Parts: sequence; structure tokens; C-alpha cells
Amino acid sequence: MSITYLEAIREAQAHALRDDPRVFIYGQDVGAFGGAFKATKNLQKEFPGRVIDAPISEDAIIGLAVGTAIEGMRPIIEMQFADFSTVAFNQIVNQASTLFWRTNVPCPITVRLPFGGTSGSGPFHSQCLEAIYAHYPGLVVLTPATVEDAYSMLLAAVALDDPVIFCEHKFLYYHLKAEKLPSEALPIGKARIAREGRDLTIVTYSAMVHEALAAADELATEGWQVEVVDLRSIKPLDTDTVVASVARTGRLLCVGEAWPWGGVTAEVIARVSAESYGLLDAPPQRLNAKDTPVPYHPNLWAAHRPTARSVAAAARKLIRF
Amino acid sequence: MPQISIIMPQLGESIAEAAIINFLVKPGDQVEGGQDLIEVETNKATMTVTAPCGGRIESFSAQLNESYAVGDVLGKIEATKEEAARFGLDVPAPTKSCDPETVTNQPRNGTGSRVEPTIRGLPVPANASGASYMSPRLKARMHELGLSAADLAGIAGSGAAGRVTVEDFEKFMANLETQKLTKASSMRVAVADAMRRSWTRPIATVGLPVQIDAVLAHRKTCDPKPGPALYALRALAVALAENSAVAGRLVGCNIVHPSAIDVGFAVEAEDGVLVPVLRGADKKPLKELVLRYNELVELARQRKLPADATGGSVATVTNFGTFGLIWATPIPLPEQTIVLGLGAGRKMPHWDEAKGQFVPVMEAYLTLSFDHRVLDGGAAGRLLLRISDLMRHPEKL
Repeated sequence: MSITYLEAIREAQAHALRDDPRVFIYGQDVGAFGGAFKATKNLQKEFPGRVIDAPISEDAIIGLAVGTAIEGMRPIIEMQFADFSTVAFNQIVNQASTLFWRTNVPCPITVRLPFGGTSGSGPFHSQCLEAIYAHYPGLVVLTPATVEDAYSMLLAAVALDDPVIFCEHKFLYYHLKAEKLPSEALPIGKARIAREGRDLTIVTYSAMVHEALAAADELATEGWQVEVVDLRSIKPLDTDTVVASVARTGRLLCVGEAWPWGGVTAEVIARVSAESYGLLDAPPQRLNAKDTPVPYHPNLWAAHRPTARSVAAAARKLIRF
Repeated sequence: MPQISIIMPQLGESIAEAAIINFLVKPGDQVEGGQDLIEVETNKATMTVTAPCGGRIESFSAQLNESYAVGDVLGKIEATKEEAARFGLDVPAPTKSCDPETVTNQPRNGTGSRVEPTIRGLPVPANASGASYMSPRLKARMHELGLSAADLAGIAGSGAAGRVTVEDFEKFMANLETQKLTKASSMRVAVADAMRRSWTRPIATVGLPVQIDAVLAHRKTCDPKPGPALYALRALAVALAENSAVAGRLVGCNIVHPSAIDVGFAVEAEDGVLVPVLRGADKKPLKELVLRYNELVELARQRKLPADATGGSVATVTNFGTFGLIWATPIPLPEQTIVLGLGAGRKMPHWDEAKGQFVPVMEAYLTLSFDHRVLDGGAAGRLLLRISDLMRHPEKL
């Protein structure tokens, strides 16, 4: 049996619904239709009354979720595309994230954001918004890169008392496969060494982990051993694992599919520079999407986002510095 | 419309001027920014001066076949305000020949103020790298091991532009372990540190032969006999008392004058050099200095110098002649500007005008190494001449 990233997300939701009567799923077309990407396929049938179709109003969806959370529920919200979550921005960053800090009442909601680029998706169905949400205190932002993490981190998200922005990458939905679902997992907030190396550290997350691993394969044929750190969780950010890796390699390349300005890659570099300047044998570098809206055309899109090839080129330059 | 100066650009390292050999456009012509305007010839190659911005050539002030220094105004371009601003030329570039006309280009009124960058239009290297670049990690690692940049001189770097990477460094250190290592004495380390700090300055050396027959004759009449170096030391002290500025230190834009003429002298001791100091060497005659001098030499050799007999001197005398050396280029102590050296005495033929023949004289070289930021060859030479004059009349010292 093999299971995809998307199926793992469905299974995690089924598991959460089974385990905890307080859990319910709310979102546009999540019911009979099974969700825009079929992440809630058949769940309404299996869990009658607990997988509920929402009106086309992201603002109202999160508002309802926060309200039920106050009443002790643990809703899982599906945004059809991360891009549309900006319509619910006020409810997320003003209400959900501050609730506990204002009232001592926890806000255990999980907002699933299908995010990131796929070929031909264009500016409204490709965006990476993790940095924006990570900016707000009170939110937890998760970016699983593997089938196993998609499953275990979604379960952990539902179990958390804090509001969680769960960034699931659409590019990984169908072709990323695992043999079976995991029975144990790293805790939330802990990064993972996806590949060990000694010449350069690439810190990345989500779909870019796979581009970085492919780049590392390419560089290995040239004799370079590249270490790849999968952050897993953007907030909290596991600075210790990153610094420990830079201590081994002396060189840092941060790769993110999001835009560069004030992003996760900038945050990682800022932390490493400030906390462990003396470990750096070369100026830390970052590689991000181009600072333009995400283009539709597949060729433009391929040039817009970091790829194994551009990651390898940036890594080569940094290794030879 | 603002008039923008066409300026002789920096055409390359160590090029100070260039001659006009051809005008490629004429006054009245419309030109694009970056367009070649004037062919110039430097001592290295023929190059072109390009338009600082687009516009109409207003005039050329430069003449054919004449040389102009870098920064000189060669002509004017009349440009629209927008064009000038686009090229960052709406403020006058600091030019050597301050052209009052360019100042009138400035519409500097109080209203509508906007932030102006301090530096515009200058090529500033954004990523300084190269052989001398040391990464934070390399610096931290060297600091941890107590190493300095000079210790790395033997490593050929494999990084960008030949810089030493941490990997190069670790390989170098690992390789060292395969070789025989002996511990450098603390004296050796101290000397190394002083020399390294001193070498951060441009140091030059001049020399002058001085006849020492008079000195040698005079010392035989004394008891105890002063060493030849003491004569040089006393002569230096007298010369510095006349003009202490030559021993001053340059700190920022100030020459810091010595507060007393305390002169040190180098004494070889074990694995290094000690520099005991004769305080107020300008105040006492030679024969009153001898006992203290001999005492300090002995204490230095036993490495028992009292604290008040070291440090704080304005200059040093080193008698490298004791090693049989005729000439040397000693390095002044880091906190000093000059070091006076004395070479070994030799019998040399000297033309005696009165006798009309060569006569044998004892001659030794005096050398003066100096911080070239403070002194030039002329001042250093004059100081040496004065010392040599004083040494010809040792009885007056």
C-alpha cells in the first residue's frame, strides 16, 4: 500500500474526528463534494454532521471557528486556496491569534491552507503566505514537507491549544508518496536533518525540501556533501538545529518558495548572523521566488520559483566563496 | 536645464591623468548616457571618456593633446532635470577643480525637501572579498587558537579570489601536527606580536656611513668604556632634544610629541630582544650614562629588568653591528616612529683632500627606519646627518 501527501491529510482528519468528539471540519465544499482537492473525501459520510459545508465567506468561516473554539470545540478549517485566507485575515490575526492573550481562553483552531505553486496556477492560486502568519504572535505555522509529517503534524495541530496555520503544499499532494502512515513523530517546533553533509547547510521547508535534496544529489556527483535542514515548523522556528548544522558546515543557504521580502529565509539568516556570526565562513545567502506576482505560464513559473537547478547553482557559488 | 560636467574618470588603478587625443562628438551634438565622447591616452592604454548622462554637448573646455588629471572638468552637457536625476547627477560631483558654474545647477530651495544620499554615483564594492578576506568563522577560529593573520601567510587559499576558507585553515593546522613543533618562548611571542603590530605602517629605511675613529679614540679615554652604541644613543637623544617632532607619533590628524627623551636600546636576550630604556638621555652627558647603560645591559641579559626601565621610550637604538652586520633595516617598535641602527665598523679608504691620497678610516653605517607617514626621506636624512655630525665630536656628547 502506498499513500500520498493528500491522502495522509485526509487520514489525519479522519483520525482526529474519530479520536475527539470536539473536532469538526468546516469549509467550502468539504461535505458531499469532498473538498476542492478531495482532502475530505467521504468524511461527511463517515462522520455525519461533523463535516460541514460553509458559505463562500472566509471571514465568516474563521469567525465561526473562533466562536466554536471559545465554546470548547476544535474545528479544522479548510481554505480552498491559501490565497483566499487573506479574506479572513482580520479573523485570523486579530481574533484567533490574540484570543488567549486577551481572555485566557484558548483558541484551538486548525486552518488548513493548500498553498504554494503548481504549474499554470498563476497569481491567485499559488501564493506562499507562511511568513505573513508567522509574523503574528499567538499563531503556530506548520509547513510539512513529507507524507509522514503531513499526517503527524496535522494531528499535532488539532491537539494544540493554539490556533495553527497548517500550510500544506499543493505541489506535493499527489506525487509525494509513502509506504505507510507513521506511528511516531518529532515534536512540533523541531526541525529535521533531511540529509547530512559537511560542506554547506541548506535550510528550507515544504516543497523546497525536495528541490534542495535534488540539488544535493547533483552536488554530490561533484564531490560536495550538502546538509539539508527541513524546518517543518516555521513558528516556532528551531534555531538550535539550524545553528548546529551551520556549526558543522560554516555555510548557510536558505531556500524558500515565498517572496524574499521579510520572509522566513530572512528570519533564519538574521538569527544565524546574530546568534552565531562566528560560525560563518561565507556570507549567508537566500534563494527565494522572484519578487513579482506568481506568473501563469509554466515556463515563467519555472523561472519564478527556486528549482533544484537554481538551488544547486546558488549552493555552488556559496561553496566556492 | 542643468549643465552636467564631463569629468576625466578614474581610468584604472595608478592612473592619475590622461591626454586628449580625439573628440568623437562636437558641441551641439545630442548624446546618450554612456556614449563615448572623447578618446584619451594614458600611460597604459587608449580609453574613452563617456557621457555621464544623455543630453546636448554644450561645450568642451579640454584641449586636444593636453593632459588632464582624473576629476578635471573636460566639458559640459546640457541635460534635462529628469535625465540628470536619473544618473544621480543633480548634485555636483566633488571635483578637484571646483567649477563655480556647476554650483549654480543646484535648485536648492527650502521647500519640498527630500532625503539626499550622502554618496552618489560612486562605485562602492558591495561584496568585499579576495585574498585578504577573513570570514567571521575563520577569525573566530584563529582567535580561539591564538593565531594572527600573519600566521596564515603560508596558506594558499582555495576560496573566492584566493581567500583562505576554514577548510583550508583546518587542513593547514592538521598538516602542522605532522611536523616537528617546538614551543615558542613567551619572549618570541611578544616580539612577534610587537613586530606584527608595527608592520601595519609603511616603514622605510635610510642609511649613512659615519666615521667612528673619533668615537673609538674617545672611548679608550673613558673608564668604564662606553660601547659605540651608547654614542649613537646619546647623539640621537641630543638630536631629538633639538627637534622632537621627528620622533612624534601620528594619531589621526595629530602628531603626538614625546614628553621626554627617553631612549631605548635593543639587547639580545635568550630567544628574543629586550629594550631597556635610558631615561632623560638628552639631559645627562655621555659619561654619566655609561654606568646605568652597562647596568641595564646586564639586567636585560639576566632578564631582570625593573619595570621602570622598560617601555615608554621615544626611540630605540639597535647595534646590529655586534652580529657583524654592516647594514640592516630594523623595524621600529609599534609605539615608536623611528629606530636608529648601527652597523659593524670597517676600515675603509677615505679620500683626504689635503693629503691628496686615500687614508684608512673606521666607518660604520647608521641606519634610520621610520614610519613614512610621519617622516619623509629628507627629514630622516637630516636627522641621520645631525647624528653623524654629533658622533664626529664625541667629546661634546
